[in-house]
Amino acid sequence: MKRMLNLGKVNHFGKLEMGFEVRRGYTRLVHVYQQPPLKASRELYEGNNPTATVFIMESSGGMVAGDRNEISIKLAPESQVRLKQQSALKIYPSHTGEVCTQAITVELEEEARLEWLPEVTIPFERAKFQVDTTIHMKESSTLIWGEIVAPGREMRGEIFDYQTFQSKYKLYVEGTLIAFDSFHFKPQEMNFSTIGLLEQALYVGSLWIVSPLVKNLPIRDLQDMIQQEKSLQASVTKLTDQAIHCRWLAKEQRILIKEINCMFEHISAYL
Amino acid sequence: MKQLNDVSSSHSNTVDTLTNLSLLRLLQVHDSAFPIGSYTHSYGMETYIQEDVIRTKEQLVNFCKVYLFHNLVHGDALLIQEAFHAAKRRDVARLTELDELCGAIKLAKESREASVNVGKQFMRTVAPLMESPFLLQWKEKIDREEVKGHYAVLYGIYCEALGVNVFHAVMTFMYASISGLVQNAVRAVPFGQNTGVQALHELLVFVEEAATTVMTLTMDDLANNALGIELASMKHEFLFARLFIS
Repeated sequence: MKRMLNLGKVNHFGKLEMGFEVRRGYTRLVHVYQQPPLKASRELYEGNNPTATVFIMESSGGMVAGDRNEISIKLAPESQVRLKQQSALKIYPSHTGEVCTQAITVELEEEARLEWLPEVTIPFERAKFQVDTTIHMKESSTLIWGEIVAPGREMRGEIFDYQTFQSKYKLYVEGTLIAFDSFHFKPQEMNFSTIGLLEQALYVGSLWIVSPLVKNLPIRDLQDMIQQEKSLQASVTKLTDQAIHCRWLAKEQRILIKEINCMFEHISAYL
Repeated sequence: MKQLNDVSSSHSNTVDTLTNLSLLRLLQVHDSAFPIGSYTHSYGMETYIQEDVIRTKEQLVNFCKVYLFHNLVHGDALLIQEAFHAAKRRDVARLTELDELCGAIKLAKESREASVNVGKQFMRTVAPLMESPFLLQWKEKIDREEVKGHYAVLYGIYCEALGVNVFHAVMTFMYASISGLVQNAVRAVPFGQNTGVQALHELLVFVEEAATTVMTLTMDDLANNALGIELASMKHEFLFARLFIS
């Protein structure tokens, strides 16, 4: 039955494994395994900065029913990496009823630093998507991780027309689970505009910051900063003495992207 | 009383039955005079009250329904159910995991701290009343700081020791949570006592529905979809003047 519904389509199973290490002062991508449609760019450097910037590319243009992406990232001690997705992640309509799944696992060793720049995930009408992100890090390592969830192709009038969007984000420091952000949106069963859910917002933005230097970050100043833009709802909270979470609920993608990147760069410069 | 028996028999998959004495004991821990400090927590509701978006009974009921179905059902209530079953197996390792999950899913600092503080008060109050070695073993773990002592997990252990069934444990917890919110709204908005009574009365049918839903869930369903409430709870910490701790 499943095969018949698939109409001969072979699902994509993208895999990307990346291992980073410091070599002669610079962070290098010393191990990479890639299976289409996932692919990593070569390392790029800004001037003398030893941080490796790598683009994650998805050559298929988006995920279709039943597709799976697995991304695994390991940073050896003291390595410094900036990862950017080449473009927004598009989840196409699930014509077979199957779910697209993505699993991202990250391991940061002592004093390693990873920046995952915020990019948008767009579930198209009738899309089904499930993403599991698991991060294991040390107390001495640093993480700045951003992500944005869209309600659909808003410009085409697709707003909460997808079927399901499930996200589980687990953050472990020294083996202790310090944050578990889990939501499961089913637009057919939920009225997002109700008080307490998304209210006027369409976009969800999240930022996760973990670093030994977080204890010096003045949280009230960050709150003042994040609340300056009045067209969206946003706030900051401490997860532990060395971890902060920022959340935005926004009507407009453009403003959210500007705000989340502004906070990202502000914190990146501080840590 | 008859009605209670009916509810109890419709959930006869659970071994425990609600005896008169355990029912009374359950009523006592959920009495507003029971000193666990629930009147000091709004779990983000005060932010909405200050933003003037909870002004009518209807708005209060809507807020409570979202808190019930999109926060409690998939969060604390589900954790109570799981903790209850783990306590029955005397599975301390699982309970330790649940305690960690209970804190990790509460991203807003004040809601997370409220869960620990109410839990501590609850333990302090019930420990001298109960002769349960397993509950005391959990208390010692909290005292040794091996676990945080989140209220939902502790309440699950307590109810198992009390001998009530898991359905009633979950349902009365949600009743008390919603009743606490309504009482706090009556003071903070403010509403008249009758408005509060009517709001809670309207919500009772949803509390029962929510408890029935919890029985169908597994730990895979652990989630918090009430992102608005969570954000309000994050913002609460920075409000200028506050009646409530959370």
